[in-house]
Amino acid sequence: MSSLDSKRMNAIGLLFGMLFGGLLAGANLHEYDTIHAMLSLEEPDVFLLMASAIAVSAPALWWLERRGVVTPLGGKLKLSRSKPEAHHLKGGALFGLGWAVAGTCPAPALVMVSSGAMLGLVAIAGLFIGLQLSQRDRTDAGQGDGEHRELVEV
Amino acid sequence: MFDVMPDRVPWYVVGPGLGVLIGALFVLANQPLGASGAYLQTAGLVRQKTDVAVWRVWYFVGMFAGGLVVSQVLREGAEVRSGYDVLREALPLGLVIPLVFAGAIVMGYGAGTAGGCTSGHGLCGTSQRSPASFVVTATFMATAIATTGVLHLLTGGDL
Repeated sequence: MSSLDSKRMNAIGLLFGMLFGGLLAGANLHEYDTIHAMLSLEEPDVFLLMASAIAVSAPALWWLERRGVVTPLGGKLKLSRSKPEAHHLKGGALFGLGWAVAGTCPAPALVMVSSGAMLGLVAIAGLFIGLQLSQRDRTDAGQGDGEHRELVEV
Repeated sequence: MFDVMPDRVPWYVVGPGLGVLIGALFVLANQPLGASGAYLQTAGLVRQKTDVAVWRVWYFVGMFAGGLVVSQVLREGAEVRSGYDVLREALPLGLVIPLVFAGAIVMGYGAGTAGGCTSGHGLCGTSQRSPASFVVTATFMATAIATTGVLHLLTGGDL
């Protein structure tokens, strides 16, 4: 059994989910109007938000990996870097199309509902369906990216 | 409830805050702060699959709960509403619902195919300097901006 299956990891999951959702709500990223203004290139705030997040985490991760940090719950820190393939282009293009129409993405859609915006439920239902369909159609063995990677056995 | 949180916390607070959160989850558990993966794990739990990362389900619940704390407790408290104000001004609700639903299906399919979304690839993948994540992020930014431009033209400038 990996440490990622522990109660401690569940508590960390809940805590990090709450902090993540709280930050998204703080910046109003759960509002269609915020995302629409971003993608209409009317205001730079969300682009700056994403860039400043990466500006903090990228150097930090680079330094931590170089130091060979061993994490308490997930083994040795190992960043994942994969080669771009056709499914990345296809998936990215479809994601952008849907993102622009629905005006929300997976995490903010949840915050949308908790902020009272009930159409967020429609978006969440669609996301579940779309994600399930994508797994059925998946032909490649591993997505090989940062997020949907396999659990690290410790 | 308490109205202690500003209506919109500026990007230069939330952005670096997210950066710290991404770094912290890697340091603690060697895991990225994604979102679409949590949907898949939650669906897996509901469908009683065996290889579910249960912590991701807690994380899924947490995202909802965190939004609840900020919007209902730290802020004045938002009422039940439909959301999508600008979209609803441009289009009738009978069109908005199928549009949001179809958009979300395409978005979910895209996230699953690409192996991540705005957080998984856009923030965490790029933070790890993954070439695939740079490609995915550039692609979805480009198609999202182009699609928004098309919507603007199709609605005669209303959107």
